[in-house]
Amino acid sequence: MRLPRDTGAAVVFLSPLLILVVGLIAYPFTRAIWLSLTDKLVGYPERFVGLRNYAYLLDDDTFHEVVKNTLVFTAGSLVLKVLTGLAMALVLNGVWRWRNFFRGLFLLPWITSTVIIALTWRWMFDAFPGRGFFNSVLLDAGLLRRPIAFMATPAGAMAAVIVANWWRAFPFFGVSYLAGMQAIPRELYDAASVDGAGTWQRFRHVTLPGLKHVLIVTIVLSFILTINDFNIVYVMTRGGPGTATQVFATYSYEVAFNQLRWGRGVTISIFLVPVMVVAIALVSRYLLRERE
Amino acid sequence: MTARAFTIIGLVAFLLIVLVPFWWIASMSFKTYEQVQFATSIYVPRPFTWENYTVLWSATRFPLWLRNSVVTAVLVTLITTVVASLAGYAVARLRFPGRESFASLILVLYLVPPALLFIPLYRVLAELGATNSLAALVLSYPTFTVPFCTWLLIGFFKALPRELEEAAFVDGATRAAALTRVLLPLAAPGIVASAIFAFTLSWNEFLYALVFIQDETALTVPVGLNLLIYGDVFSWGQLMAASVITTLPVVALYMFIHRWMVEGLAAGSVKG
Repeated sequence: MRLPRDTGAAVVFLSPLLILVVGLIAYPFTRAIWLSLTDKLVGYPERFVGLRNYAYLLDDDTFHEVVKNTLVFTAGSLVLKVLTGLAMALVLNGVWRWRNFFRGLFLLPWITSTVIIALTWRWMFDAFPGRGFFNSVLLDAGLLRRPIAFMATPAGAMAAVIVANWWRAFPFFGVSYLAGMQAIPRELYDAASVDGAGTWQRFRHVTLPGLKHVLIVTIVLSFILTINDFNIVYVMTRGGPGTATQVFATYSYEVAFNQLRWGRGVTISIFLVPVMVVAIALVSRYLLRERE
Repeated sequence: MTARAFTIIGLVAFLLIVLVPFWWIASMSFKTYEQVQFATSIYVPRPFTWENYTVLWSATRFPLWLRNSVVTAVLVTLITTVVASLAGYAVARLRFPGRESFASLILVLYLVPPALLFIPLYRVLAELGATNSLAALVLSYPTFTVPFCTWLLIGFFKALPRELEEAAFVDGATRAAALTRVLLPLAAPGIVASAIFAFTLSWNEFLYALVFIQDETALTVPVGLNLLIYGDVFSWGQLMAASVITTLPVVALYMFIHRWMVEGLAAGSVKG
C-alpha cells in the first residue's frame, strides 16, 4: 500500500508532540505502575513486592475514609454545580441587554487560580471575626453571639472544600448550559405552550431533554477533575481535621512526600485509573462526535 | 413570580455569589493588621492603606516568585504554541495513517490528571537532574498545556476554509509557504487564544510546582502564597495583596479573549 503523500510532513509536524507524550506522560505512567509493585521508600532501593501495596490499602481504614471523602466531595460539588449552573443559565437566558457582560463577569471564578480560590474561601470561613467573612457579618448583624469555627469540625471542613470547588466551576456549567439552551429551537417551546404546558413543564420536557448532551459532557468532565482535586483540599485543610477531608490526591501526596513511601503513595492514585478510563472513554465519545 | 422578577433576583444573587469573595480579599488587602485583627471597619477598609502592597514588594520574596512565574509561563507558552500549532495543523489538515486515532489520543491525554503523574514524573525529572529549578516546570507543564492547546487548535484549523490553502498549492507554493503565508495569518487569533490558555494554566499551576521545587528562591507564586499562609508570620494583608496582584494579569488577558473563550466553552472543548 502506498502511504498518503502527507505522511512525511505529518511525522515532522507531530514528532515534538510525540517526544513529549512518550517521554513525559507514557514513560512516567509505566514507571507509576512499576513503583506501585514495589516497596520504594525514599533513600532506599526499591524491591518488588507484587500486589502488597494494593492489599495493604484495601485493608487500610484511612484509605477507606479517603474513598468515602472523595465520593462525598465529588458528588456534593457536582450536584451543586449542576443545579446552580442551570439556574445561572436560566437567569442569563432571561437577560437581553448586557448578557455578554454578565456572562463574562460570572466567569471570573473560573479563570482565577485555584490556589487563590482555596485561600479566599479559607478566609471566608475563618473562625476569627475580621478575617472570616461569615463570622464578621453574622456577628456584626447580631445573628451570632460568638464566632463559629467552621473549619474545625469534620462536616464543616468538608462543606467548606465543597463550596470552594463548586464556586470555582459552576460558571463553566452555567455558560455551557446557556449555550445549550440557546441552541434549542424556539418552535419547540411554542409547540409546548400551544399544548398547554406551563413554565415547569416546558423546562422539564423541552429544556432538559435539549440539554442532555451538554449535561453529560459537563458532568463527566467535572467528575474527572473533581475526583482528582488536589489544590483546594490541600490549601484549605491539608486533609484535616484529622483525615476528615483527605481525598485521593492529597492522601497520595501525604503518603509519598511526608511518609516517604513512594510505592504506596503511587498505588493510591492508581486505584482511580479504572474509573478514569471509563470516564475518559465516555466523555471522549461525546466530544469527538461533536467535532465530526 | 413573573419572569422579569426571577431574572432580576437571579442576577443580583449571582452577582453577590461571584463578587463577594473577590471583594472580601481585595478589601482585606487594603486594611491594616489591626483593622483585621480587631474586626474594625469590616465592610470597607477605613482608613485605606497601601502598606500591605509596599511591604509585600520590599520585604518578602514575592517579587522573586512573580519573576519565576513569569519566566516559567512565558517559556511554557512559547514551547506549547510551537508544538501545539504544528500538531494541530497536522491532525486537522494532513492525510496520514492513524489520523483519527491521533485526535482521540490528544483528547485522552488532555484528560489525564496530573494527580496521577506527579510521583513518577518527579523521579524522571530527578534522573534528568531537573528538579528544584524552573527547568522542572518548563519540562512538565507542557504535559498538560500541549494536549489542551492542540485539541483547541485542531478545531480551529478545521474551521478554516481549505480552499485558500489549495489555491496556494495551485499557484505553486510549497507546503511551508502555504502554511506560513496563507494559513498562519488566518489562524493567528486561534493561536493567540491558545497561547493565553497555556499562559493561564501555567500561571495558576500548583501541584507540580509544590512537588518539584523545594528551594524558596525558585518557587512560583501559587506555592509561595501557600508558604505565606502556613508561615509563622501572620501576614494576612500581604497574602491578600499578593492574591490581588496575581489575579490581575489573568483577568486582563481574559478580557482580551473572553468572547472567543465562551465560544470554545460552548463547544465543550474547554476544561471545567
